[in-house]
Amino acid sequence: MTEDATKNEPSPNQPKLNQIVSAIESHVGQDALIDHYINKLSKDVPTIVANPNTYYSIAKLLRYDEQLNFAYLSELHGTDFETHMEIYVHLHSFNMNQSVALKVKLDRAAPVIPSLVPLWPGANWPECEAYDLLGIDFREHPDLKRILLGDDWKGYPLRKDYQPYDVEV
Amino acid sequence: MLRTEEMLLNVGPQHPSTHGVFRLVIKIDGEIIKEATPVIGYLHRGTEKLAENLQYTQIIPYTDRLDYLAAMTNNYVLCHAVETMMAIEVPDRAEYLRVIAMELGRVASHLVWWGTYLLDIGATSPFLYAFREREMIVNLLTELSGARLTFNYMRVGGVKWDAPEGWIEKVAEFVPYMREQLAGYHELVTGNEIFVNRVKGVGIYTKEEALQYSLSGANLRCTGVKWDLRKNEPYSIYDRFTFDVPTREEGDAFSRYHCRMEEIEESLKILEQAVVQFPEGPILAKVPKIIKVPKGEAFVRIESPRGEIGCYIASEGKKEPYRLKFRRPSFYNLQILPKLLEGENMANLITILGAIDIVLGEVDG
Amino acid sequence: MLGLAKGLSYTLKNLTRKKVTYDYPNEPLPLPDRFRGIQKFYPEKCIVCNQCVTICPTDCIQLTGKKHPDPSKKGKIIDTYDINFEICILCDLCTEVCPTEAIVMTNQFELAEYSRDHLFKNLEWLDENDENIRKVNKV
Ligand code: SF4
Ligand code: SF4
Repeated sequence: MTEDATKNEPSPNQPKLNQIVSAIESHVGQDALIDHYINKLSKDVPTIVANPNTYYSIAKLLRYDEQLNFAYLSELHGTDFETHMEIYVHLHSFNMNQSVALKVKLDRAAPVIPSLVPLWPGANWPECEAYDLLGIDFREHPDLKRILLGDDWKGYPLRKDYQPYDVEV
Repeated sequence: MLRTEEMLLNVGPQHPSTHGVFRLVIKIDGEIIKEATPVIGYLHRGTEKLAENLQYTQIIPYTDRLDYLAAMTNNYVLCHAVETMMAIEVPDRAEYLRVIAMELGRVASHLVWWGTYLLDIGATSPFLYAFREREMIVNLLTELSGARLTFNYMRVGGVKWDAPEGWIEKVAEFVPYMREQLAGYHELVTGNEIFVNRVKGVGIYTKEEALQYSLSGANLRCTGVKWDLRKNEPYSIYDRFTFDVPTREEGDAFSRYHCRMEEIEESLKILEQAVVQFPEGPILAKVPKIIKVPKGEAFVRIESPRGEIGCYIASEGKKEPYRLKFRRPSFYNLQILPKLLEGENMANLITILGAIDIVLGEVDG
Repeated sequence: MLGLAKGLSYTLKNLTRKKVTYDYPNEPLPLPDRFRGIQKFYPEKCIVCNQCVTICPTDCIQLTGKKHPDPSKKGKIIDTYDINFEICILCDLCTEVCPTEAIVMTNQFELAEYSRDHLFKNLEWLDENDENIRKVNKV
């Protein structure tokens, strides 16, 4: 998808994406990212796709790096893409006045990923929601629980193969 | 020394001050709250799951039911997400109608907050005054859209109805009237010593905490962060209006009160300018009859009365979304509650909860 | 103390204001033309195109058509038409898509019933529901 960004004229956010990517590559490692591109459909937001095992270090860098300083977690949710699970995190940096979308693809059979709560306490409930509705296991989450559905709910409704289960119907 | 025992107390799910079905399990030691655990989900309707089987036009009425006090912004965020992905240019007149409707909604929503918050604290009459003025807004919006709360007014590419005859004039007349009432509200409440004693210095958090907990809207601005998506990530036609983003430094319940009251004033300013600039023209862009969003994904966010409301769409190019997700500001804002309540006096519970301004339809999705 | 006195003076000022409450149900509520209440259905206008059924987000419309009794005419006419008001959310989409305006909104909003069965409105009921019908349906 990288050629999308270069196909037409380069996006005004391209330099910012380059800055983020080079910071990640120099601090976390050359192969920390699977992909990075400008998402033209989504108001040109720089999008980076992390490796599951570098996801936390990248998030940490984005959070604490002095230049980047993505202090605000705007959104976190998961999606079931049938071939894989995906976490989408929308971060905002007041320093750079820029948002970034951080994505990570997970194994659908065993979706496990480190929790972001140590970095952004605001990720607490959204992660619970993703666990509740999609069954994604967030490691080190302080209190991972079924937040919207009942504790005895069977299955994960937002998974595409979910079968509604109700004894009374 | 007096020996005290810890007690477990359930507040809600049906309790007038929780504004819906919200339950709070608190551990108290005497009058002091040791631990608070919010329990939510009583109003979860699975909007996101339902949406996966619905066309985009059909989802709009469902968005009305998230934040039912300001349904126009919810309508807008979905339409805006679809329009962004399809690169639809919305006609000017439609955008003006949308902005007028959204700002009226913002005023109405803050009025409800103001009235119910004071009711929670123990003042009955402000509630009646607030609802008197809100009723006028609701009537205006009924005239425009045909429903009092669940408007289903916006469409992808524009709006359903043009303004009825004389409607814009009525909005223009409403603005000075509301200003006058607002001055009265300040007279009635803002300087009231009992009220000030109840809210000043209660529920304080810092700017850093607000950011960490992903708070938005007045909850964030009350700590001095000048952050309003209408200004900072201009969408729609908000860059055509001059208005200010009210902030406060203290971060307590009183500062949130001030922020919201001043936001009403700013919304009135926007309304005033919008009715003057109101252009002629079509109200619906040329959109295909069956709306199909191109393959890909997008996340947009706008400023609702409660904070940052966002909409994420992942599309496979079909007429239904593959995945639809709303970033619901109340859900995020409520997270800080256990932290705020810890060590507080029981009597402050309602003051703190009310100042966050939650709508349970939105918390539970 | 000053704050309290100020507040009291505001309250006193409001004593002389005109009442804003409605005398419902003694007087009917003034409702705008666009108000969305229970639909009126015109069986003779309906061309059984099924668009209303398709668009309804809650799947609360059920209809069946039958062959036109006059064999020289093509097309179908409506046979049964039911709306389930247990789940209709009065979203206005069915009236929006109907090409012949066979289904339109009215100002009738009083839906309280003693039994859920009464919320199931059939063709005859919807046909007879002809007070305060919306005048302007499309802009
Ligand atoms: S108003 Fe909406 S919910 Fe009711 S029948 Fe029409 S389309 Fe269905
Ligand atoms: S859309 Fe109108 S004409 Fe078509 S079936 Fe429904 S009521 Fe009849």
